Amino acid sequence: MTLLEIPILTFVIFFPLAGAIVLLALPASRARAIKVTANVVTGLEFLAVLAILKGFNAGSGELQLLERREWIRSFGAQYLLGVDGISLLLLLLTTLLTFVAVLSSWSAVEKRLKEYYFFLLLLEVGMVGVFLALDLVLFYVFWEVMLVPMYFLIGIWGGERRLYAAIKFFLYTLFGSVMMLVGILVLHAHYQTFDLTVMLQAGSPLAGALQGWVFLAFFLGFAIKVPMFPFHTWLPDAHVEAPTAGSVILAGVLLKMGTYGFVRFSLPLFPDATRRFLPWIVALSLVAIVYGALVSLMQKDMKRLIAYSSVSHMGFVTLGLFALTPMAVEGAVLQMINHGLSTGALFLIVGVLYERRHTRAISEFGGLAAQMPAYAAVFLIMALASIGLPGLNGFVGEFMILMGTFPVNWVWTAVAATGIILGAGYMLWLYQRVMFGRLDNPANQVLADLSPREWATFLPLLVLVFWIGLAPKPFLRLIEKPVEKVVRLANPDYFRTVESPAPALPVRAVSAGDEAR
Amino acid sequence: METAVFSDVRSLAPALALVAAAVVSLLLHVFLRRRGPRVAGWTALSGVALALFLLAVGPTAPGALFAGVLRLDPFAVFIQLSVLLATALALLLAFRFFGAEKHEPGEVYPLFLLAAVGMMMAVAAADLVALYVSFELFAVSSYILAGIFKKDRRSSEAGIKYFFLGTLSSGCMLLGMALVFGLSGETSYAGAARALAGADEHIALAAMVLFFAGLFFKAAFIPFHMWAPDIYEGAPTPVAVFLSTASKAAVIGILIRSMTSLFGGFSSHWLAIFQALALATMFWGNIAALLQDNIKRLMAYSSIAHAGYLAIGLAAWSEAARTAILFYLFLYIFMNAAAFAIVLLARSEPGFKENVSDLRGLVRTSPLAAASVLVVLLSLTGIPPTAGFMGKYLLLAAAVEKKLYLLAAAGALNSVISLFYYFRVGRAIFMEEADDASAARPAPWSVQTVMVVAALVLLLFGLWPSALAELAGVSTLGN
Repeated sequence: MTLLEIPILTFVIFFPLAGAIVLLALPASRARAIKVTANVVTGLEFLAVLAILKGFNAGSGELQLLERREWIRSFGAQYLLGVDGISLLLLLLTTLLTFVAVLSSWSAVEKRLKEYYFFLLLLEVGMVGVFLALDLVLFYVFWEVMLVPMYFLIGIWGGERRLYAAIKFFLYTLFGSVMMLVGILVLHAHYQTFDLTVMLQAGSPLAGALQGWVFLAFFLGFAIKVPMFPFHTWLPDAHVEAPTAGSVILAGVLLKMGTYGFVRFSLPLFPDATRRFLPWIVALSLVAIVYGALVSLMQKDMKRLIAYSSVSHMGFVTLGLFALTPMAVEGAVLQMINHGLSTGALFLIVGVLYERRHTRAISEFGGLAAQMPAYAAVFLIMALASIGLPGLNGFVGEFMILMGTFPVNWVWTAVAATGIILGAGYMLWLYQRVMFGRLDNPANQVLADLSPREWATFLPLLVLVFWIGLAPKPFLRLIEKPVEKVVRLANPDYFRTVESPAPALPVRAVSAGDEAR
Repeated sequence: METAVFSDVRSLAPALALVAAAVVSLLLHVFLRRRGPRVAGWTALSGVALALFLLAVGPTAPGALFAGVLRLDPFAVFIQLSVLLATALALLLAFRFFGAEKHEPGEVYPLFLLAAVGMMMAVAAADLVALYVSFELFAVSSYILAGIFKKDRRSSEAGIKYFFLGTLSSGCMLLGMALVFGLSGETSYAGAARALAGADEHIALAAMVLFFAGLFFKAAFIPFHMWAPDIYEGAPTPVAVFLSTASKAAVIGILIRSMTSLFGGFSSHWLAIFQALALATMFWGNIAALLQDNIKRLMAYSSIAHAGYLAIGLAAWSEAARTAILFYLFLYIFMNAAAFAIVLLARSEPGFKENVSDLRGLVRTSPLAAASVLVVLLSLTGIPPTAGFMGKYLLLAAAVEKKLYLLAAAGALNSVISLFYYFRVGRAIFMEEADDASAARPAPWSVQTVMVVAALVLLLFGLWPSALAELAGVSTLGN
């Protein structure tokens, strides 16, 4: 499948790069032309990703539209791209959120415009590349390419402590990725290839202890990105200091790269180690769910509150992934999308207020519902989506994760469910403090409601929140088969025992399997 | 017989071109009074260009010259190429640097060339006497270069310090050579290696350790590095570039040749030596760099840390590792020359202390140079899509293949440590605002050229490393 004679996956990676180069050629004084170019490029990019759907077979769990070209002969690294339902859904999310983020910056960013949009487009190249690359060296290159623009977005256009937050983000994530690099090298020494599709077919995973170490090396890379407790401490700083568009992309897309890495690499490549470390990872996820929610309750800054709520929500995703049942993993993948939509929207919502008042302190606001009714409605819908109200997207994902984990271990489900209750607590309390009460701060009495451009940023997100909430079928259909494939590789016992009346606990099944070996 | 010697001499054309250029440049400097230094500089640069050309078109594998005293194999040619490129970059920076001085010391240009001739001969030497003579040629020229500003206290101090410590290291090496000669009665590598195999192992090991120690000293491996930060800081910046790139390439070249053809029988001892050296050099170099405010000292420690990455390859010592070392060495020249060139972009005048904060606002005053610095910094840290990543990747992959997992992890971890100080420089350039009075100066053309060339090379080999990796692959010395 091609677009303008270029294979479509290559096109969607490099189109934003072409846009970035065009931006460089524009004179810095022509602010309007720069903004229009960036918006058009990211808009077209989303449409191009939509076009992938046309040649895509949703009924198959295989990686499709493969593009394979020689790249570095002497290392054996290839330029290998491909897409399955999971990555396609994430691509749609990425390109939509990037477009929304660019649109939301129209009046929010005033200094060094050209560089700002240049870095946003470069960031998109990295993100799209990560979701498409199937060669581990290529994957690593895109994975790291992403760090640099994000570092600059936080460091140049961020809040007061931006320099600190930017380098903290860079150091943390680079630490995770270089450990992953060592893991990639060990994998190469074992399989003699960087080609993921070949590795998956080889069916001869690394030997016991070494597999554990390589799993941990990848785990560090991904867990820091997610971020899982206790690797989350970079996140509140980065989210709070980043400009609104940066926060939207950080929360909406960058965090998903960690969980995407788990699904794409960790679970299928290291099945034994996955099951061995599973109790620990689940424990960390449960801690993240409850701890993230409790910390959110205490925040005085809106952005910080939403940042910590991400820790809690991503805990749900990792819990679902490592429950290793098809239902839970499907829920987790869907929840990745849901979290991107609702949290991305919540950061936009905070951004709307920040642009008007230049503060994010919750205590500065109150009674805004009377002054900004449309804003209040959007905020309410997004807050409820984030809580997981039935009929909205969050509910579907969380419910599937809980359903999927219950047969494995009901205690996990019970702990995770308390996280939902706490989630309702901090979100509704936030809403109450900002929106209800008396509108007695004079600065708030002159606030304008949503502008048409702001409406345009929220509209696609609102549509999807309802669509996934009411009719998730088309989305689930995309991820069903690929998820099944992952679970078959990571937890083959599940399909062996699924017919028997009482499904065995996978954890126990693993230890039995280990003894047999 | 006569014709054989003649053709041997012809094979040395690149080095002879440098000698000729050095003589001409020295004479021009003396006789053309006012414009002398400038003309001398251009003559020297043309000499390097001519030598590069002769090296590129020269016979590809002539092997042994002058009855085996020199070996001009692909390995030697690769290192010579690196040395010449490093010399060219250092000369370009010297134009800017010495041109800004009132009394441009025109004799620096021939000295650069003579040192380069010494290096080129030393990496080709397959005989102890030839090695020592060429080694001293480049050592003595570099002592003078380091102290070239006679009136500047820091430069004079650097010259004296380098001289004393340098001769000490040459002495170590000479003692090692003496032991080799005493044991074998041979001066040729091949003959000595045969005799060493049957000699008393303790004395042979002592000879190897002394010989290596002299080289480690010149390569500034930790704990043999004490001289390096002071001398890189005190010496004029182009000289620091030259010493940390060309000289290091030559020393690593000599080391590899002696490891393969002189002390090849003792390879079982190398893993322990080089593993310790790599770990100490990487960690110490990077951690010390974290503490520096002066850019020149920061880059001095950074260049030490990079020698540590090279030592990973020496520890792994496989075919892949030797390829990786050559690959990295080539890039290291561009990365390091550009890193020291950053010093020349700082606000303060030459001779003052240049701090990291003196680079503020560079992105406004010269955006092209700033963008190039960004590529260089990414490459130094080892972040794709730059060549620094590919180089580090090859070194780590060689270590992993030899199951040196912890060494590879330590190398990777050091990337993260180095990120912190490299991006203090990046932060000053891109993020910290500066008013016009305190912003960095617009980059002069020569510095800008070095920066842009380095950035392009690093990006090119970062995206398409195959060509360089294959060239390095065919240039390795067999075991």
